[in-house]
Amino acid sequence: MYVIDQFTSFGLSLYATLISPVNILVLVGATLLGIIFGALPGLTATLGVALLTTLTYGVPTETALIALLSMYVGAVYGGSYASILINIPGTAASAATALDGYPLALKGEAGKALGLTTTASFLGTMFGMVVLVLLSPLIIDLALQFTSFEFFLLAFFGILISGTLSSRDLVYKGWIAGFIGLFMSTVGRDRLQFFPRFTFDISELDAGLEVVPVLLGAFGIPQIIKVLVNRQPLARPKEFARILPEWGTIARNAKHIVRSASIGVGIGSVPGIGEDIAGWVSYGVARNTSKHPETFGTGEVAGVVSSETANNACIGGALIPLITLGIPGSPPAAMLLGALMLHNVTPGPMIEFEHPGFILELTAILLLASLAMWGLGITLAKQVVKVLKLPAQVFMPVIAVLCVIGSYSLGLNVFNLYLMIAVGIVAYFLTEMEYPISPLVIGVILGPMADENLRRALMVSEGSFAPLFQRPVCLLLLVVIVLTVMSQIPACKRAKERLTDRVLGRKPRNASMDVD
Amino acid sequence: MKKTLVLSTAILMASVTTGLAADKYPARDITNVVVWAAGGGTDLCNRVVSAEMAKILGVNINVTNKTGGVSGSIGMDAVYNEKPDGYTIAGISESVVTAAVQGGWDKRMEVWSPFIIGGSPDVVSVTASAPYKDLKELIEAAKAEPNKIKASASAAGSIHHLNLLALMNGSGAKFNYIPYNGSAPAQNAAMSGEVTVVVTSVAEQQQLLKGKKLRPLGMLTPDSFTVDGVGTIPSSFPDYPKLKEYLPISQAIGFAVRSDTPEDVKKTLGDAFEKALKSDAVKKWTTENYYTVSGKHGKAAQAEFARLESLFGWTLFELGAAKFSPEKFGIPKP
Repeated sequence: MYVIDQFTSFGLSLYATLISPVNILVLVGATLLGIIFGALPGLTATLGVALLTTLTYGVPTETALIALLSMYVGAVYGGSYASILINIPGTAASAATALDGYPLALKGEAGKALGLTTTASFLGTMFGMVVLVLLSPLIIDLALQFTSFEFFLLAFFGILISGTLSSRDLVYKGWIAGFIGLFMSTVGRDRLQFFPRFTFDISELDAGLEVVPVLLGAFGIPQIIKVLVNRQPLARPKEFARILPEWGTIARNAKHIVRSASIGVGIGSVPGIGEDIAGWVSYGVARNTSKHPETFGTGEVAGVVSSETANNACIGGALIPLITLGIPGSPPAAMLLGALMLHNVTPGPMIEFEHPGFILELTAILLLASLAMWGLGITLAKQVVKVLKLPAQVFMPVIAVLCVIGSYSLGLNVFNLYLMIAVGIVAYFLTEMEYPISPLVIGVILGPMADENLRRALMVSEGSFAPLFQRPVCLLLLVVIVLTVMSQIPACKRAKERLTDRVLGRKPRNASMDVD
Repeated sequence: MKKTLVLSTAILMASVTTGLAADKYPARDITNVVVWAAGGGTDLCNRVVSAEMAKILGVNINVTNKTGGVSGSIGMDAVYNEKPDGYTIAGISESVVTAAVQGGWDKRMEVWSPFIIGGSPDVVSVTASAPYKDLKELIEAAKAEPNKIKASASAAGSIHHLNLLALMNGSGAKFNYIPYNGSAPAQNAAMSGEVTVVVTSVAEQQQLLKGKKLRPLGMLTPDSFTVDGVGTIPSSFPDYPKLKEYLPISQAIGFAVRSDTPEDVKKTLGDAFEKALKSDAVKKWTTENYYTVSGKHGKAAQAEFARLESLFGWTLFELGAAKFSPEKFGIPKP
């Protein structure tokens, strides 16, 4: 009976939304704006939702919600455009998409890759939405298991895994890049005691390094220099490339989609972290569980699908703690919280009593936003691929201008421009030495979280590291981290092989594979 | 003839100018520059009150947000650099009083003439599963084992931290203060049991109190406070009279004009402000959001901001969190 009731009111919400032409216009418009925001390097989902929040004060709550959620869904998806086409992630959330998306574009399959990410993002959003409605009470109990130690380990794991995954030759290089990022994140006043660290009395450094200029400098400048110096042509689109993915491709990737969506929802539901880390973890799991991990990084379809499904599934996940506890699950969700309060809706345990049907209304909007995203995405992808036909000498300077505008527009601060250029030059030399850049950016993003939570955890435990081994979630994360590190050490790799051989009765490994 | 002309021109000009001055303000739209982000408490409060004041004044009040800098210094600087004619006002809260000692700008709060709408009072709550049924039990337990019970209260030097410090000073109990980057993570930590005690505002806690995720023990204000579905939360003052020496330290959300703004402009704004606070829309909003209305403006409001400035400035300095000593700006000790 309950289920039927839920379905009926869901249908009614959906109908109520669709009946108003203004709502449909806002839905499509905001999704399109979101995709553009995501695709342009430097403009992020968080910024998009923030800018839109101020504009929605005067409009009805429902219309405001449509605008904001569509913007959120569109922006998380749109990041994949820049990742795939020009190897500069439009948002940090789609950095992992570039690893396989750009090689696909170089092979002339940009259209195919975009079609796949569109469908993967759509399915991811839908999955997140279903979990939001059905399982939120269960998930919230799990999310409440996260205290400072767990947050620290999770942030640390995020940096480690992006280092592990994006290194082309030596994994240590990825970790070194990650630690450079971690170091950069310590610049500024620490957030617990306001002690100035590495600020050299420069007042601009007081607030720390902004993520957007670092992201633009680190990804944008090396790519622009490389393409222009080597006269490397942009990826070529195949003529008449099919955008709409074949059902067979989707079906073959079904297990990646389901797994990645679960990871995305899970990470989204943990307060404070979101799309940025979800893409990486999901990509990592896909590679580690693959039968042919060596194809990852060379244009593996499963890689693109995994990161894009996860970052969109994160949206539904991030809404779970927002609605049930009033705690935003991701940075854009934090902006969403502000917007809701602006409309006199205070999310929390009592939301269903104070605003009956609110969760279903939210779900209905999420469904419509993901449909709009899919429709627009498939239509746009065909056109967007054509930018690759532009000569690099014309296209790259335009990207450079966008990077400059993106860095400056954030707080209209000239200092961010200098920061972007400095980071860009360092990043260029690092990429020339084959250091991956993503871990550096992830380090800057997750560094404050790792730093702040470790120090707070030690304050809570009065200096003891014992809780690391006593708390179940901690222990699990710790084991995963140790395994990740050990799996990269040659001696451990050999030991593991020997051990497996012995367990299997000294049979050669191939023989045991034949058995099953 | 000439004389008459000069005289009549003079009279005409005088009457025109006085006429203009009399009904001049407000002759055009007013801009309210809120120094905190859209959707925050200061922003919401200013939008609701500005909308009512606009009706009374007969002009639009456009609310914009100019965030950034240190303690809202960028927004304050922008308003301060405009003409002091009452057409540009700054949406502020008590948190801006640290702008000088934190190195955001070089002025004291006396440059402003604030209009204080009010704020949500602070409440002491504990984890739902904690054994303490009232404030006395908690304080006794903390006295028995000093620095053992963990308490969260937003970031170091925030208004909630100051309230927690005042509670410790006034009751003699010692808590182990764990800083969090904002009220939401601090409350989250109290829910997950990482800390036992949390001090934040009723507005911030209301959902968690109603959902029985946190248990309220006492208000840090002289009056008790009623929350629908939770009941009346008693004041902590009767049990610990010494709290009076330190409290209340209340949020002071509102807006401000430069203090050198002409008196008649300030008066027009003040009258409209008082009327707006009595309007149904503002009353409804403040009740629903658990705000206590202050309504102070003029001298009283300036005194309140001077008190907050000295309290916040010196506390931050003693915590080692201030960039400059409050002495540098001549801020007296509390």
